Amino acid sequence: MASTLANPRQAQSFRFVRCGYATGEAELVYAFDDGPDLIERIGFPDAPTLPEERKPAFSAALRLLHLIAGVSYYKAGVPPRIVVEGVPLDVATAEFLDQIYLHGLAEFAYQNKLDLRGRISFARHSREGGNPVLHSEKKELDPGLRRGDGQKPEVLWLPRRTLVPIGGGKDSLVSVEMLKSIREPMTAVWVGDSALIAACAQRTGLPMLNLKRRLAPELFEYNRLGAWNGHIPVTAINSAILLCAAILYGYDAIAFSNEASASAATLEYDGQPVNHQWSKSLDFERGLREYTKSHIAADMDYFSLLRPWSELAVTRAFARQTRYDDVFSSCNRNFRIRGERPADRWCGQCPKCHFVFLALAPFVAKPRLLGIFGRNLLDDATLASGFDALLEYREHKPFECVGEGGESRAAMYTLSQRPEWREDALIARFAEEILPQLNPAGLALEPLLAPSPEHFLPPRLQGLLDAA
Amino acid sequence: MSPTPAAASAANWIVLKFGGTSVSTRARWDKIAAIASDWRGRGRRVLIVVSALSGITDQLKAICEASADRAPCAAIAQAIAARHQAMFAELELGRRNGIDGWLQRLDQLLDDPRRAPRDLSWQAEILALGELMSSTLGVAYLNAGGLTARWLDAREHLSAQALPNQNAWSRYLSASVPVLVDAALGARLAALGEVFITQGFIASNMDGETVVLGRGGSDTSASYFGALLKAEKVEIWTDVAGMFSANPHQVPNARLLARLDYEEAQEIATTGAKVLHPRCINPLREARVPLAIKDTNYPHLAGTQIAGTVADAAPSIKAVSSRRGIVLIAMESIGMWQQVGFLADVFEHFKRHGLSIDLIGSAETNVTVSLDPGENLVDTDVLSALCADLAKVCRVKVIAPCAAITLVGRGMRGMLHKLSGVLAEFGSLRVHLISQSSNNLNLTFVVDEDVAADLVPRLHALLTKAEAMRVEDAAVFGPSWRELYTLRQTAAPVPWWRERRAVLLDLAREHTPRYVYDLSCVRAQAQALRAAIACVDRWFYAIKANAHPAILREIAAQGFGLECVSPGELARAGEAAPESALLFTPNFAPREEYAAAFARGANVTVDNLHPLAYWGHVFSGRDLILRLDLGTGRGHHDKVKTGGAQSKFGLALDELAEFRRLAAAHGARIVGLHAHLGSGILDIAHWKDVYVQLASLGERIGSVRLLNIGGGLGVPARGDETPLDLSALGPVLAEVKTAYPQFELWAEPGRYLVADAGVLLARVTQVKRKGEVRYVGCDAGMNSLIRPALYEAWHEIVNLTRLDESTSELVQIVGPICESGDVLGSNRRLPPAQEGDVLLIAQTGAYGAAMASHYNLRDPADEVVL
Repeated sequence: MASTLANPRQAQSFRFVRCGYATGEAELVYAFDDGPDLIERIGFPDAPTLPEERKPAFSAALRLLHLIAGVSYYKAGVPPRIVVEGVPLDVATAEFLDQIYLHGLAEFAYQNKLDLRGRISFARHSREGGNPVLHSEKKELDPGLRRGDGQKPEVLWLPRRTLVPIGGGKDSLVSVEMLKSIREPMTAVWVGDSALIAACAQRTGLPMLNLKRRLAPELFEYNRLGAWNGHIPVTAINSAILLCAAILYGYDAIAFSNEASASAATLEYDGQPVNHQWSKSLDFERGLREYTKSHIAADMDYFSLLRPWSELAVTRAFARQTRYDDVFSSCNRNFRIRGERPADRWCGQCPKCHFVFLALAPFVAKPRLLGIFGRNLLDDATLASGFDALLEYREHKPFECVGEGGESRAAMYTLSQRPEWREDALIARFAEEILPQLNPAGLALEPLLAPSPEHFLPPRLQGLLDAA
Repeated sequence: MSPTPAAASAANWIVLKFGGTSVSTRARWDKIAAIASDWRGRGRRVLIVVSALSGITDQLKAICEASADRAPCAAIAQAIAARHQAMFAELELGRRNGIDGWLQRLDQLLDDPRRAPRDLSWQAEILALGELMSSTLGVAYLNAGGLTARWLDAREHLSAQALPNQNAWSRYLSASVPVLVDAALGARLAALGEVFITQGFIASNMDGETVVLGRGGSDTSASYFGALLKAEKVEIWTDVAGMFSANPHQVPNARLLARLDYEEAQEIATTGAKVLHPRCINPLREARVPLAIKDTNYPHLAGTQIAGTVADAAPSIKAVSSRRGIVLIAMESIGMWQQVGFLADVFEHFKRHGLSIDLIGSAETNVTVSLDPGENLVDTDVLSALCADLAKVCRVKVIAPCAAITLVGRGMRGMLHKLSGVLAEFGSLRVHLISQSSNNLNLTFVVDEDVAADLVPRLHALLTKAEAMRVEDAAVFGPSWRELYTLRQTAAPVPWWRERRAVLLDLAREHTPRYVYDLSCVRAQAQALRAAIACVDRWFYAIKANAHPAILREIAAQGFGLECVSPGELARAGEAAPESALLFTPNFAPREEYAAAFARGANVTVDNLHPLAYWGHVFSGRDLILRLDLGTGRGHHDKVKTGGAQSKFGLALDELAEFRRLAAAHGARIVGLHAHLGSGILDIAHWKDVYVQLASLGERIGSVRLLNIGGGLGVPARGDETPLDLSALGPVLAEVKTAYPQFELWAEPGRYLVADAGVLLARVTQVKRKGEVRYVGCDAGMNSLIRPALYEAWHEIVNLTRLDESTSELVQIVGPICESGDVLGSNRRLPPAQEGDVLLIAQTGAYGAAMASHYNLRDPADEVVL
């Protein structure tokens, strides 16, 4: 098989070959040109038998997952043509996917100096072509897609409980604790084999669901052959996996933990905003919510619980309890192996480490914070440029899921006013060098902690708006 | 003074204390009964002090924390009740009114009006129930088993007194009991019975309310009772044999401390040892009652005995301990100079915020103090408030997280001259504070917290080596943790050369000095390695350790590739293995060597930007492996960080992006990442660390398909070194492999394969005596074996001619080279040697002949393969 692989950058087309589900495993199949099938597998452990009435919704969700998860493979070659085999996509689906691929790969495109505009285009059958033949085909193969033609999906009467994806970082743990406070029935769910996430999920004390995801092994081989590489919108993929899981296991809500700041673009490049965390943005959330309600299940609620809040408001909420101090990590180094020392969870070098350290500092007793990280990142002069980037001082905001520059500046300013912090190397430097150039009016912490009205919290959770 | 009758009867009390795990199963209670009966049989009266069943105190604390709502409290109470009912059933007791009474009391307390406001007296009553229940179960069980025992309410005997400055919280929840000797009590109890059981942790206050003693309270209760009864001895029964010369989890070779005085024990307990709470020592010191720590699982072990100072004991460092979570407060002021009362003002702030100062260092313009880890530092903003106050009088800087590394031993200052090698360890670390008290018991270094775990084992080894820790003194030092608890402990295998003695003597008769290699030993090592660490996909042998053709052929036959660092090595290796099995890992080599290595088909490792920047065409279209220096930029090991920058090997991580750019520009593919830590590493955590770091870097470079974690597998030289546990290393690496299955795993041991396989034979040339020092000269010198001179390496040396004679002489074994460093072994015990005797220097199969020279124009040892 490996001998037939060619560098995907030479390919002319990327094909969505087929997808299917049987006994707890979904199979997503792709190919470049006439190359070998690339098979990604998603495992749903102890999956119940899918009730008949949920089958159309599940197959619509699975189709969406197939289409979204293709981004991992498509980006390896970025060929000129995208071919979706089987039933053609309706307009809404094709447009939604265009958005996901274009925005979700914006950073990838920027890093690789590619222009994807015009290149990403999912074929769709025209609005007026309510072609009866196609329609009947769909009915057999893919009942879910019927809904795109204006027919609303049914209410599935899913059980009133929530899937809460756990990421190992502070955000989802804040969500868990918020939802616990209103006794929301929920399950901690995660995708993949991270021991760190498993430890965090364990610590929540909630029922747990660990979904498995196995990339097509050929992808590694493609990488060695010189495939394009870079950031993909992984939250979009995970969201689609969770939609399938929610229908399969019976949950009527999926509560992600993306903050307001996830919606801000990292930079603008060639007229296009580039947001590292686009699939965590309000735009994506709105898009998927609407798509879900219009194409998958009318009573499925996909939303981000932390959307009203800034990163700082979330770190403040996290600071209120210590139960996760020795298990969580927001570090972007992929710690797949769990260790006891802080250095086994926090590399101390990446923007995520820098930001979370800075954002927690105003709200957490200094010895506790240093205990979490095992070191004092703000007293390490060699990290100056990393923190400068967070402050958007001389540098652009890093390509990471970090807060906005204003949040970092406010946190830094707050610390510079605290006697226990102000002698630390980077705080002292901030006070001397950077602070004089800033407008003091924009440095207050309090305004950044207020909830924003832009969110999709279901009514039953609106009471939490006062809780953060 | 003649003893009163009461004193005479009191003299035979033994106080036994058992912790939570010791009272949580029936089998453990049987042990308690056996230990108590044993003392009873020896005519002593026994007072047993018990903790709550394990985990119960935490649950009771949880009730206190959740006190606002009754529902969660009731849920926890239910679990506590269930646990005790289960224990009751396990003990097969008949009468349940005792335990039911306490469980009812727990229910009553949940409805007590003091619950919601979380009244301190209510909390103390809740917390006290754990011990009241365990002792109630215990007394029933002992009596049922035929050991007549009486239940004693500790609150009737231990009466807490409020200390000045003590706040309400600690008056109830961390109470202090004045140390009293009540001669009459012993007599009074003796009239009632012979065996008593009471509660640790709890006492009453002057108003008769229940209070608890805080952390380590049960040990402290045992001490109070020991003093009160003027007991013959207090025994703390636990799960370890006693106090050790270091934390055994960090230092498996830590030695059991057989004998300590009160002050030393206090110091060790305070500076890190967990086995004994420091608070429990003072009452016994005041009352002059000895204390023993004993292991419930091994009651025959003597454990640690703590009593008054031993007269005329030789000074020795007894322990090296470390405490994490230390916060330093550095206060800087120019106004401090000669200003009366400055320190008093400053310390007043600490007192007001309830923070206790441990270490102090001062200079004219700076006072730095340490704060011990405390929950209030983490849970509250007390530090922030303190700093705000201090900032009014000085500049204040918080330095954390730190660890305090303390050397403990009476007469510390008299041992300073032995510590030069030990102090050198601190050379590359940030030392924030050094403190030494006038009682001459300790020497403390405050360093960054993340270096402590690695530092302690090194210091322990160095202290032993420098004989500042006199572990051979059996009166003070017992067996090591490893000897006591590592069950897999097996006798060291008999080295091959003992069995081949006759052959070796024949070979020595032909010619000396001479290296002799045993190929079967090489083979066995290679096979053992492959079997133990199955997840390594490709093994390479670093041939610089020993490039003898027969050895290369043997190792290649075992499926190893050969790792080379020069064209000469490549040529030699090419005779024993195919080109594709060669790995070329040079350092600062000229450009033509890389080109030649590519041309012959070897795998090539690059560790610098220069080759790609200046002669990138050499790598055009090639696959290459990149050697990284994980030390630089890694940030969490200052030791490694400095070592990294000062090491000439490897590409600094901050140049990785540039390296990738250059490689891409020249069409070279980075197919592998490599790092090599160093040599002689006996700690498996290091390999995991390197492997994980390489993997997480590798997954960001799409072209990487292999990770080479290097070599450096340690070979223990002395008997007291822990051998590398291959059976533990295998699973550790396999765990990482499972997480990163996409990468091939390569490793390249050198010395590990061949060190044991080689011996150096030498003939005694002359013997000499100078004063007390005896020299045995032989015809092998540093030109044959330079490791002792170069690395202070220790090699076992025996007189092969007199292998079975008693080793009665302490000698220096020296060679014929005109260098004062030409010493192969110092202070060795050998049988009296005579000219012509054959000496055998063991473990010289690696870096022996390979590093030999013709210095002094003397031929080095020749080589023979068995």
